[in-house]
Amino acid sequence: MENALLVGLSRQMVLGRQLDVVANNIANLNTTGFKSDNSMFEQFLMPVARENRFKTPDRQMGFVNDRGTWHDFRGGSVQPTGNPLDVAIDGKAFLVVQTPAGERYTRNGAMQINAQGQLVTADGSQVMGESGPIVLQPTDRDVAISADGMVTVTESGNTKTESQRGKLRLVSFDAPQQLQKDGANNFLAPAGVTAVPDPKSRLIQGATEKSNVNGVVEMTRLIEITRAYSQVGLLLQQQSDLHKNAIQQLAEVPS
Amino acid sequence: MRALQTAATGMMAQELNVQVIANNIANMRTTGYKRQRAEFQDMLYEHVRRIGTQTSDQGNILPVGVDLGSGVKTVGTPRIMTQGTLSQTGGDLDVAIRGEGFFKIQLPDGTFAYTRDGSFQMDAQGRIVTVQGNVVQPGITIPQNSTSLTINSEGQVSVIVAGSSTPTVLGQLNLTRFINKAGLLPIGDNMFTETPASGAPQDGLPNSNGAGDLQQGNLEQANVEAVTEISDLIAAQRAYEMNSKVISATDQMLQTTSGLYR
Repeated sequence: MENALLVGLSRQMVLGRQLDVVANNIANLNTTGFKSDNSMFEQFLMPVARENRFKTPDRQMGFVNDRGTWHDFRGGSVQPTGNPLDVAIDGKAFLVVQTPAGERYTRNGAMQINAQGQLVTADGSQVMGESGPIVLQPTDRDVAISADGMVTVTESGNTKTESQRGKLRLVSFDAPQQLQKDGANNFLAPAGVTAVPDPKSRLIQGATEKSNVNGVVEMTRLIEITRAYSQVGLLLQQQSDLHKNAIQQLAEVPS
Repeated sequence: MRALQTAATGMMAQELNVQVIANNIANMRTTGYKRQRAEFQDMLYEHVRRIGTQTSDQGNILPVGVDLGSGVKTVGTPRIMTQGTLSQTGGDLDVAIRGEGFFKIQLPDGTFAYTRDGSFQMDAQGRIVTVQGNVVQPGITIPQNSTSLTINSEGQVSVIVAGSSTPTVLGQLNLTRFINKAGLLPIGDNMFTETPASGAPQDGLPNSNGAGDLQQGNLEQANVEAVTEISDLIAAQRAYEMNSKVISATDQMLQTTSGLYR
């Protein structure tokens, strides 16, 4: 008889977690290269061990369980910034970033230069080229990044000679869903997921990829979650009233 | 519920975003101002169900996990060091840089600062100084009885001294380059100082090593674009609003929970 309470509880816990996911999406509404998360639910049947030969067979109950969150890898809108060190990725590829914890992958193409002239992310991790970090010389100017990632600069002085400073490494994954979010706009590839070079994706210089979080969708989800939560709350309350009435009426001793 | 804190980080981030945009708009007409941009990153994730864990002895693994993020953080407000447009002023001592360099300025305490603001003045001793009265390096003194001050694109300063018909060269303005201009520390008054992130200053002549040439009678406008800033402002405000809705939704859910107990 208490089962309705437990079923309701499973729903409310799942809704609480879904709200966390939605809140994180909305918090990252303006995070460059952010990919939104979505929750996935499944029915969870209980009890697993059952016996149906009794006159009143064990009834199965459906609980709800959040099986996973999946990343929505759709491209965000491309916003022109006019900054030569910003690149947006048109395609499925990721840029490779060398963090202190190892290699990470990102869609955030807002790059900076550090004191050594290397291309780095906003938190100072090197953005990798096909042969190591890309290093610009102190006298370089007019950085141009081609669609396939080649970084070209104009050399110093009045000679107007162009020279190449390396090619940005672009990789993609057969199973991008297996990638794990690692914070700082980075994805981590777990063991068994290998990055393969992606010659098909193209870079757009002077633009960044906005977060792909859709404000309207997240707001409707938010309404859905709060409504569902209070509906289940009502259900639990009615169940508890039922208990209360039952106890009161059954315990009433005729005088 | 974590959502409360998550939405709070979102609101704080957008507040900072608006602050950065406000400063850009406020400096729209500041000579040599370079706009800033707030950069955000997502924060740590709690892996409630980790991707790739085994679900059976047959080696089935979870294709997706439950990852709960904890919000957003501001990672920096880098300066976008693109060239601003030059506007003609006709002033003798107005100099704009067309390129990557900075003017070197000596501060009263003897240290050096760097600026793109070339609206120079002359002080009582005839030295070329900034609007705040700091001497532009290397110090150039203009004689009292001179006319027709010219600064050529290579930075050579010359005048015609009374009684002479040929110009006299007074000195040479230098430009300084940094490998990472965005890493300079802004100290206000349109000035920047060197930091470990900017790299060491490299003094040089204008029009060499990519430092850019000088344009006398021009000033470099701020590189702030009104349309971009306003659309960013709208986006930031809406994002702020949505985050506040998450807080009220969480509040409502907590209310439902507490209402269960009567």
